[in-house]
Amino acid sequence: MKQWFLGLPGPMPLKVVVAAVVAIAAIVVLFFVYDWIGTNLLDSGGTIG
Amino acid sequence: MDDSMTPPVETSASRSRGTLTRVVRVAGWTSIVIGVLILGFVVQQLFVTTWFAQQHQTALTEDAEEHFAAAEISEVDYVPPSPVGSPGEGTVTPGAGGSSTDEGAPLGPKKRTLLVESTPEKGSAFAVIRIPTIDRLKDGWAIVEGVELRNLKNGAGHMPHTPLPGLPGNTVISGHRTTYGAPFHEIGELVPGDVIEIDTALGTHTYEVRETIIVRPTELWVTEPRDGAWLTLTTCHPKFSSRQRLIVFAELVDGPNWEAIYA
Repeated sequence: MKQWFLGLPGPMPLKVVVAAVVAIAAIVVLFFVYDWIGTNLLDSGGTIG
Repeated sequence: MDDSMTPPVETSASRSRGTLTRVVRVAGWTSIVIGVLILGFVVQQLFVTTWFAQQHQTALTEDAEEHFAAAEISEVDYVPPSPVGSPGEGTVTPGAGGSSTDEGAPLGPKKRTLLVESTPEKGSAFAVIRIPTIDRLKDGWAIVEGVELRNLKNGAGHMPHTPLPGLPGNTVISGHRTTYGAPFHEIGELVPGDVIEIDTALGTHTYEVRETIIVRPTELWVTEPRDGAWLTLTTCHPKFSSRQRLIVFAELVDGPNWEAIYA
């Protein structure tokens, strides 16, 4: 993780910004995946048909 | 530090110890990552979705109240197919339309007047469901028009093409049981005789639970029209699975249209 962070391009402030954007994007993608799994396996809303 | 010490010689035993250490470390981190992902899933499904649903509910309940004030209400003629509960239910009596014979004896069922409201827009809140015996629903939960996933994330959803609450036929309402606020979490505890109230622009419609059953998700017959005025609640079953559906059938026992439908 540390190596990945240090390997990001640009000066330190830019690395921080890029890392934050990547982290937020990963969380959003993860939530979509969670939502898909939840809707299909856990609770589809109880609709019929 | 003793500089004269000779560097340690790497033996096969120390090499295998190093490999074992790496394997254990990788397995440990993998377990931690999987654990965090699973914990994240549980937190997202049970708490984050519920938090969003509750935020939506506050706004939707206000929207429903605005709808009650603004909805267009009209009166329409209604001819029941046959006296409710009589043999031959569901058949249309010849001469239906409220006319009489020449002798003055009624030929078909008497024409009655129903109150109806305009069809709500897809996704909009138009009613509130209350079940006094269920903690989660005793203060009410907004019902939105539509049963698509995006509709059900906000509230319980009314299945389009089924009658609005309080009208003859079979009103079908679906809701989440474990996520997105889980409005129907406890409807499995309903027993015959329990009361379900639905507020709409017409007033409060009171239904009484008649039966609870479990079916497969494809059993569309539960949504088919019925004689009288019925409410069908559908949700996932068992809890934390969408393998089956829990169905609650309830019949109208009071409300603005009860007399027109049953009297």
